[in-house]
Amino acid sequence: MTAPATTDNEYDDIPAVPDEDGRAPASRYGVLALAVMVVVGLLLGYAGGLLTPRLTRPGDASVEAGFARDMTTHHAQAVEMSLVAYRSATLPEVRQIAVDIATGQQGEIGAMQTWLREWDLSPTGSQPPMSWMSDGATVKNGLMPGMANPQQMAALRDAKGIEVDRQFLTLMYAHHLGGIHMIDAALGETDNAEVLRVARTMKATQQTELNNLRQLQAQAKG
Amino acid sequence: MSISTPGGPERRPTVVSTGKKPAAGRPAAGAKAGSGKPTGKPAGSPRAGGKGPRKPVTPVKVSQGRAWGPIALFVAVGVLAAGIIGYGAWASFQGSKPWDKRANAIEGIVNIRKTDKTSLDYESHKSGPLTWKYSPPVGGAHNAAWQNCMGDVYDAPIASEHAVHSLEHGAVWITYRPGLPQDQVDKLAGKVRGVEKTLMSPYEGLDKPISLQAWGYQLKVDNADDSRIDEFIKDLRVNASVEGPTALCNTGITATGTTPRELPQQQQPPTQ
Repeated sequence: MTAPATTDNEYDDIPAVPDEDGRAPASRYGVLALAVMVVVGLLLGYAGGLLTPRLTRPGDASVEAGFARDMTTHHAQAVEMSLVAYRSATLPEVRQIAVDIATGQQGEIGAMQTWLREWDLSPTGSQPPMSWMSDGATVKNGLMPGMANPQQMAALRDAKGIEVDRQFLTLMYAHHLGGIHMIDAALGETDNAEVLRVARTMKATQQTELNNLRQLQAQAKG
Repeated sequence: MSISTPGGPERRPTVVSTGKKPAAGRPAAGAKAGSGKPTGKPAGSPRAGGKGPRKPVTPVKVSQGRAWGPIALFVAVGVLAAGIIGYGAWASFQGSKPWDKRANAIEGIVNIRKTDKTSLDYESHKSGPLTWKYSPPVGGAHNAAWQNCMGDVYDAPIASEHAVHSLEHGAVWITYRPGLPQDQVDKLAGKVRGVEKTLMSPYEGLDKPISLQAWGYQLKVDNADDSRIDEFIKDLRVNASVEGPTALCNTGITATGTTPRELPQQQQPPTQ
């Protein structure tokens, strides 16, 4: 026991001045404590960075999730109508706008489904459709605003000649009006930058298309 | 290995004396002492006396002279590492800048969305010949049909009425003055072919050899080797779309000619 002690003393004595002898261990503790604090601080910061997006992303009952789910349903019907018109309409301009709507809205469905995945949410909600809209817009017979009922869809599928154009233009016009109503509700209540960006593009596109649909309605009448 | 050869006991001392690892040598030396071999002693004795000379440790003071070599090395490595990390951070920051910021940074680009936004407004699709404020046009009124923009390289002028609709869908339209040297045309075509949301055609009356259009943006350059062409395409293709990233570039007009076309009839005649 004594032997190691003496060797220690020898070792310390060589570089250190006597009055620094007492301070050396204390400052060593200080450095250690500082290092621990820095490491803990970094870990806390890292954990905060990991958790923040998790805590701030839209939840299951959020406006964003409701919009993504319901607009997917809404868009899906527009895609079906448009593909019928693309296949069977008479006026080339109607077929052209129809295929544009079909692929554009199918693309938007892809974006909205990706949001839900990123938010760790199911594409199917537990809340009834439209419950995210604060203005209490109603679902009639399971249909959101502007959606065609099953009889109208069947009639469109069975239509022939210019009737396809006329029915499609009428149904799609109403569909866009209802869609813009829903988009406005989302725009008014979300502050999610990505949702805002896509919803604005959706609205601008559908508004322009309303003008083009109205113009084509006049053309299809004649 | 040499130990296993015959004459082991005699050779042992030599093995111990050459032993490079002191830890391994020490027990061997102890064993030697126990066995009492006289030949082993001379080799073991310097090791046994090792306990005495602690003092040689004292010359710690030698290190007081600055070792500039290692310091320079550490500084060099540190500077290099900081440079690499810094460049990586800078590059990823540049890459993550919004597309419109990057586009605005292109030297000589004209941002009509900023300078003349109303010139891009339109009510609905229009048939027949149209006129625009900019040449070639960068947005505004257009035909119901778009020009195919699936990396299409047109060898004759096309109708701007259709091309503007392609711009609305996010296409970059490369135009060049007729008579541009073939190697320059080939270079431009190489940037277009196979790349959806791009199209290219000659354009009469250009004030510069080459002009690039996206919805609300224009850039005119003298040479197909100009690196700003790639920048323009990278920043504005798809991004400049008014109708989102999936607006169509197919099922449109594929013919050339500057007179806007009516869409081809496909089935029943529209008479009714």
